[in-house]
Amino acid sequence: MSSYEEQLDTAEGVDYDAIADLLGDRVVRRETHLNAEGFVVRPDQVAESLTLLREEAGFDHLSMVTAQDYEDRYETIYHLTKYADRTHEVSVVVPTDPENPVSESAASVYKTANWHEREAYDLVGVEYDGHPDLRRILLPETWQGHPLSSDYDQDKPQIVQFDEHKNPLEDDHRGADSDTMFLNIGPHHPATHGVLHLKTVLDGEQVADVDPDIGYLHRCEEQMCQQGTYRHQIMPYPDRWDYASAGLLNEWAYARVAEDLNDIEVPEYAQIIRTMSAEFCRIAAHLLAVGTFALDIYGDFTAIFMYAMRDREKVQNILEDLTGQRMMFNYFRLGGVVWDLPEPREEWFENIRDFLDDLPGTLEEYHDLITTNEIFQTRVIGTGVLDPEDAKQFGTTGPVARASGIDYDIRRDDPYGYYDELDWNVVTEEGGDNYARFLVRMQEVEESAKIISQCVDLLEDWPEDERNIQSNVPRTLKPDPDTEVYRAVEGAKGELGIYIRSDGTDKPGRFKIRSPCFCNLSALNAMSKGEYVPDLVATLGSLDVILGEVDR
Amino acid sequence: MFAPLQSDPVLLPETIARLLFGSEIAIWQEAVAGFLAAFLIANIMLANAGVAGPWAKRKITAAFTDRIAVNRIGPAGLLIIPAAAVQLMAKELIIPDGVDRPAYDLAPILLALSALLGFAVIPMGSIFGINLQMADPETGLAFVFAVASIATLALTMGGYASNNKYSLMGGLRAIAQNIAYEIPLIVTAASVVIFTGTLQTSEIVAQQSEPLVTIAGLTIPSWFAFVNPFAFVLFMVANLAEVGRNPFDIPEAPTEIVAGYMTEYSSIYFVLFYMGEFIHIFLGGAIVATVFLGGPAGPVLPGFIWFIIKIWAVFLFTQWARSAVPRVRIDQLIEIGWKGMLVLSFANLVLTAVIVGVML
Repeated sequence: MSSYEEQLDTAEGVDYDAIADLLGDRVVRRETHLNAEGFVVRPDQVAESLTLLREEAGFDHLSMVTAQDYEDRYETIYHLTKYADRTHEVSVVVPTDPENPVSESAASVYKTANWHEREAYDLVGVEYDGHPDLRRILLPETWQGHPLSSDYDQDKPQIVQFDEHKNPLEDDHRGADSDTMFLNIGPHHPATHGVLHLKTVLDGEQVADVDPDIGYLHRCEEQMCQQGTYRHQIMPYPDRWDYASAGLLNEWAYARVAEDLNDIEVPEYAQIIRTMSAEFCRIAAHLLAVGTFALDIYGDFTAIFMYAMRDREKVQNILEDLTGQRMMFNYFRLGGVVWDLPEPREEWFENIRDFLDDLPGTLEEYHDLITTNEIFQTRVIGTGVLDPEDAKQFGTTGPVARASGIDYDIRRDDPYGYYDELDWNVVTEEGGDNYARFLVRMQEVEESAKIISQCVDLLEDWPEDERNIQSNVPRTLKPDPDTEVYRAVEGAKGELGIYIRSDGTDKPGRFKIRSPCFCNLSALNAMSKGEYVPDLVATLGSLDVILGEVDR
Repeated sequence: MFAPLQSDPVLLPETIARLLFGSEIAIWQEAVAGFLAAFLIANIMLANAGVAGPWAKRKITAAFTDRIAVNRIGPAGLLIIPAAAVQLMAKELIIPDGVDRPAYDLAPILLALSALLGFAVIPMGSIFGINLQMADPETGLAFVFAVASIATLALTMGGYASNNKYSLMGGLRAIAQNIAYEIPLIVTAASVVIFTGTLQTSEIVAQQSEPLVTIAGLTIPSWFAFVNPFAFVLFMVANLAEVGRNPFDIPEAPTEIVAGYMTEYSSIYFVLFYMGEFIHIFLGGAIVATVFLGGPAGPVLPGFIWFIIKIWAVFLFTQWARSAVPRVRIDQLIEIGWKGMLVLSFANLVLTAVIVGVML
């Protein structure tokens, strides 16, 4: 921490005036967003402003890049925060000319900006000067227009001649003169955990280069959310981002940001229910991650995968009793949850207690089968190493960052729900390798169980007349126009954030999702270069990406 | 005429020839009888593979992984076997563009063939007084290893001819793996040969029939698994690599290289590959049984039944490893093979030679 950085940190958080001094005359104007102040800088001074903020003020985490277009300008917002303190936030706003939307790229300052800016270019149409690789990322290369810009004609069919489509096999002979071999891993491959395409260059069996090609599962989630009303129509969508059991964690991301935007209080009782059910989702998601990771290491038929599915099933049953659904829960509402715990409550609590009592034994079995297995250890220790500096540069969060020794967990660092009232620990490991990521997930299951156990205690003793599951929320929510807010929660895979700009109607003007899987996946190249193909597969498995969330 | 008999029991082709043509046997009659005997043995093994592939493998894996597996068609799902046979043979045979035609077609045939050839010299015991051994040359054991290693050629051919990069990687891996593990496999088997002083399979089996030690009325036969357990363990490990099952299922490695050399094969070619693999596992089991487990020897039941039980026990072991043990990486596999298995197997060989030289 530099001395300047100490000066900028006050007890209440960030001293924005000091930041204004730091940036000096690069700041054109200051804006106030609900989560942080925004500093408007000129489009050709982005990199130096961000460098100053990163080097001098300690903003080492570029959480998200949002691009949007207004009537008179395009705008890029860099949402900065700190791994050391999540509550310290600042936004750097870069407006550009609508006729020629070019601004300077931040990819030289934060590596994670590379993918974020590609997405902004792809969907909104802002071009980034000095970007190393400004290609479309979600849509096909032949796509015409930028779907989230206002001059995009949605009714115009995207007719692309067949011969205009790039044949992925054409690149087959890339490097024909050299000793390397180009290999398409995916989009249909047993180990890509969905439809992911890895353009891999191999030197023998070693990975010389890998370029993840994503977007096969792009479902316009952001635009769909922009077309739904705040009150009810958006909540079902988050379930479909990280659909591998993390539904409630995603719903909380929307609930948190929308409640902040509309100033909605959530009753304590509902917060406890949210906390408990979200942790169940985390257990289910981590069990799936552990199971599929074992699948990548073991082969196609393995006991550990079925054991993990068996135990995940118990969690699914508990969640089904609570929400009526097994995956697409749609259980949270703005201001609380949709209904109270299932009756008879005692029986349901009993089920949870049974599960929690069995869990240590189950985890012990996992450790016997995998963690302590010497062959497993030779496979995963020291492979897929992500050093802490890279972890920060690529904006990784969640178990991936924590396995690289970065003590960062939004549940603790920027508390929401009932987490700060409960006794639990943030799990970190130092290795940064596949083994460390695996261990972090295993231990987080234990921590989640601890949280659930405390929540059950609280809920059991909750007075019957105070079981308030929802606060009063108006039928129609119309936040003030041009209110901007960015909020994140700790999803199963990491920091799941949402940026909303209101436009005075009952629907968001801009809805931007920060997907933890998207950022974690962008680190794959750095992690797997020089490794063997089996380790590339293992590394991908240990990143635990859900393509539904990567592509949105 | 037949080669002079080295051991008393009559070999299968001669039994058949006598049954069909009486005691005077012409050369063509000998050939017909030999063909019929080979047909019979091949079908026995194919039937075993047929039970193992679509049904037993699933049931065993399911038992290891807390599942039920096939149970809808027939008792305990057994009718899945004919159903799978019809289904697999009715599938379209897709030949990709640019495959190297004769090699592409030959590979699956060669794989199944090499595995079946090995059974020619395996003493499979007798049932109803008929000895089921096809041939009993003095070089029996060498012959088994020689034909079994033709499988590597088949895998490489298939991998190379498929015009697919995953197949190519699978084929290359198969070569690397088989070279690294066949040497320890054969050297370990050679340590048994030092004991027996012969490569003839029937003689190896015969030498294991002596009682080794009697503990509390229970006689333990002098199977080489008991005489030299270290060699037995080494052999089982090398055998896992030889048949390509976890932790050594590198040439296929579905989560890494899709299906390796098998990627581009469909329909009946796929069946041949698949069957060939299972027969290979059974051949591995047959070698283990012959060299280490006393061949078809066993109490009460006929020898042939014991033989089948033993090869299925080895099959079960491979399936167990498959469900419970992670796969090693290709470079680790080579390292274990050359730096570990090879050294240990030669140490075992030298030690055995010294012990046998001094004590016997």
